[in-house]
Parts: sequence; structure tokens; C-alpha cells
Amino acid sequence: MWGYVRLELIRTMRDGGYVIFGIVMPVVMYLVFTNLGLAPGDRHDAAIYTMVSMAAYGALGGAFNNGSGIAEDRAAGWLRQLRLTPLTPAQVVAGKVVTGVAGVVPSIAAVLLTGLLVNHVTLPPQRWLAIVVLLWAGTVPFSLLGLGNGYRLSGQSAAMANIATMLTLAILGGLWVPVENFPSWLRAIAEWTPSNSYAGLSWRIAFGDVPTVRQVVILSAWLLVFAVYAVYGYRRAGRRA
Amino acid sequence: MIYWGLRCPPTVVPMTAKSPDAVSLTSATKHFGPVRAVDGLTLAIPRGQTVALLGPNGAGKSTTIALLLGLLPPDSGRAALFGLDPEQAVRQGLVGAMPQEGGLIPRVTVRELLAFVSGTYAAPLPLDRVLALARIGDLRDRRVDRLSGGQAQRVRFAMAVCGDPGLIVLDEPTAALDVEARREFWDGMRGLASQGKTILFSTHYLDEADEHADRVVVLGHGRVIADGTSAEIKRAVALTTVSVTADGESAWLATLPGVRHMEIRGGRVHLRSGDSDATVMALARAGAVRGLEVVPADLEDAFVALTAKENA
Repeated sequence: MWGYVRLELIRTMRDGGYVIFGIVMPVVMYLVFTNLGLAPGDRHDAAIYTMVSMAAYGALGGAFNNGSGIAEDRAAGWLRQLRLTPLTPAQVVAGKVVTGVAGVVPSIAAVLLTGLLVNHVTLPPQRWLAIVVLLWAGTVPFSLLGLGNGYRLSGQSAAMANIATMLTLAILGGLWVPVENFPSWLRAIAEWTPSNSYAGLSWRIAFGDVPTVRQVVILSAWLLVFAVYAVYGYRRAGRRA
Repeated sequence: MIYWGLRCPPTVVPMTAKSPDAVSLTSATKHFGPVRAVDGLTLAIPRGQTVALLGPNGAGKSTTIALLLGLLPPDSGRAALFGLDPEQAVRQGLVGAMPQEGGLIPRVTVRELLAFVSGTYAAPLPLDRVLALARIGDLRDRRVDRLSGGQAQRVRFAMAVCGDPGLIVLDEPTAALDVEARREFWDGMRGLASQGKTILFSTHYLDEADEHADRVVVLGHGRVIADGTSAEIKRAVALTTVSVTADGESAWLATLPGVRHMEIRGGRVHLRSGDSDATVMALARAGAVRGLEVVPADLEDAFVALTAKENA
């Protein structure tokens, strides 16, 4: 299985879509937002807040891109080729999940390092650690949603659906513009999104608060929904293969 | 149904613990909606044979291969490889397969791809051997998505053989290849067959079945309609063509001994005969030998005759 993960990671790193949406854009947007004074309040606070937003945005890009890869693989007959190797189906699925989980690391690392080195963000070590862990682990629901789309839709439409979903969740979740600046009706919707809860966990930590129960519950609920969706997509894909 | 089997496949597949057949399909059936793609097909391939699965498009070749590889479950009947459930045999690394299309992914090199596939098998061939076998040594560092059709086909072949499996299944391996690429492909295959591998390949190129297989299994409408060496199949349909130059009223020639079918084309009478000696003797007695030509059937004639019988 590790050979499979290795192969998939090689492919991911050579994927222009992943590098652009998952790494370059979040870093560029982070630098633009923080250095043009578009984020509200104190400059250091803005650097911290936007760092979390953009790391979350990049992680979303990486997680959804992994799902699009599944659809591409199916169209290329690669999933069938894998079934003809000694790898078990469980190893293949697990390998893809591990790839997705590993694939978001560069996105998160790139933005956090930019925050640390370029925007001189200073945080206590335990907060850094908590943010890294929460940003990383919190991508699982989005990976599952991306995989579900990848299994359920064909190549091109899966990629389109994943990009559209990713951008919608990023904007609506307040990753580009804080939800505090939204009209109140939109803000009410935003606070039910998985992306807002996901980034919210780390925003709270970054400013020395504890994540709210509401955020944890909402993200967990979406995790369940997307897991069911991914399993449903996988079963459907299996019947057609 | 007319069964043209030359070697009747056993109705009960012998399952001795010692050496079960490499491939065994027993009364396998697969429907797609109202279409019976595979219709009660029974086929046993002992180890070490090179078998061609021959048939026109829609004969059920690819579905048969999908059933025996465990990619599709049969509606009824069963498939086994080396006495095991197909999926189990694949997990144990006993099988290498090349589906009709696909299986190549973008953004990896030939070497990276083959190293991965080899790594999933317990005892793969050394990479250099695989590259030599598939004649892709010069392509090792090329991206898989930047290969020509013929090069890609050789890489797909390399994926099927790199794990050193005992059974190699190739679904139309030379479709979409030009003559030169086909020849190179079969050069590589010959090396494998000589190592005692069991090889099953499907094709609609009759000359390939004739030239490269120990045994030819002809499929039509999801059933085995003939099974034997290519010589046996030609003999079974007994179609030597005896032709003479037509001279006036020729219909009576169809009644000569051995003649099964007559056709007049371009002033020539072509007689398909089951007993060409008798036909020629009768022609001689009747004084009708003008521009005599006797041509033994090729596999294509046999194939056309077999599928025509099947459709009748």
C-alpha cells in the first residue's frame, strides 16, 4: 500500500491544479490580503486570522483535488488496473485516503510558514501545534465530500463540481472575507457551513479561546453526512466498474 | 444450438488438488439487460497453453475475460483460476492482465509506474528484464502520458507481465497497433510462452490466432462454437476451395462429390469442398478441369463458416 501512496503523492506534486489551488493561490492571497490592509483590525491580529483562513482554504483545495483525481483515475481505467494487481480494494481506498490526508500538509505548511517568516506571526508553541493539528484533521470531511464527487461523477464534471464546491465553501465559510462582514441573513447561513466551523476551531485557538461546542458539533455532523455520501458514491462506482 | 467442439470441454472441471487448470469457466452466464453477453460458457485451459479467444465484435470476448478475472460476477456458473476464486488468485499475484484499453495514468514515468505495479507482487521480475521483454528500455524515464499508441501498448503489456504471474490475460493486445508494432509485440510474447506461462489472449485478427496460439477457441454469441488447434478448426469445417474457369452452364458443378457451396465470381467457379480429392477427380472425369486451383482454407474461411452455421 505504501508503494501506492508514494506513487499517488508523486502524481499529486506534479499536478498543476493541486499546486495552484492548494499551495500558490492561498499563499498569494494571504500576502495580498494582509499587506493591502484588507483584513480588519490590528495588523498582527489580521496576519493571524488570515493565516488560518488561507491555510484552511489551501487545505480545502488539496482535499477536493484528491477527490477529482479519483474520477480521473476511473476514466483512465486505472481503478480497474488496480483491481488486477494483488492490492486489495481496502488497501486502494485506504491508500487514497492517506494520500488525501498527506496531500493537504504542504498547503497548510506553506501558508503557516509564510505567516511565520513573512508576516512575523508570533504565537505560543502549543497554539501553533493545536492549529496545525486542527487544520490537518479537520480536512477529513472535505476529503470525503471530494471522494464522493469523484466516485459519483465522471472525470470532467467531478473536477468542476469539486472546484465549485470548494470555492463556495471557502467563500461562504468566511475564508476569504470574514463572516462578520456578511449581511446578517448570509452570516446565519455561513455559520452552518462545515468550512466556517472548520476554520473557526483554529481561529478560536489562535486568539487564545477554546473552540465552541457548536463548531465541533456542526463539523462532526457534516463529517457523518459526507462519509455516508462517499460510501454511497463508492458503492455506485463499484457497480459500474 | 450446433456445437462445433472438437475437444468437448468437460462438463465437470477436474479439480485435482495437485494442478488445477489455470483457467476454468463452468457454465458461466452474464446478461446486460436483455443481452446475453456470455451464454453458458464452459472453458478449461491447462497450465502452459497459449490460447486465442477468437470472435467478431460482440461475440463476448471481453465479457468472458472480465468474468474469469473476477472484474464482473457471473449471473450463474462459476469462474476459477488455478482452482481459486479469481479475486483470490489475483490477490496472490498469480495473474497479470491487460484490459482492452486504459490503465495508464498521467504524471508518472514508465519506470515509476512499473516499479509500483511490480511492488504489489511478491516475486516480481527485475525491472530491467521487464523493460527488455516489453522493448521499452529507451522509454523508462518518459512520462506515461507522452507516449505514442504503440509505446503505450508496450507499457501496458509490461504492467501485465512485471509481477511474473503464471497466467497472463490480454484483451485484444494488438488492436490499434500498426503492422510493425504488432510484429514487435508478438516477438515479446513468444519469449514468455517459452517460459511455460499460461497465456490467454483475445483477438479478431485471425492470422494472430493462427500464428501465435496452441489452441483457438472461437466464440459467437457468448458461446464456444469451436475449440481446437487452428489446423483442427480448418479441418473441421473442411473448406478447401477448388476453383476452375467457368464454361457455359455451371450449376451442375454444385452436385459434384464433396462440394458444399458454390460461387461464381469473375468467370471463375469457386467450389468449397469437404473432400477436395473427390471433387477434383469428378471434375477431371467430367472434363471440366480448366485453370484448376486448389487452395486450403485459411482460418478466416473457417471462421466465417463457423459463425454462419451458428447464425443459421
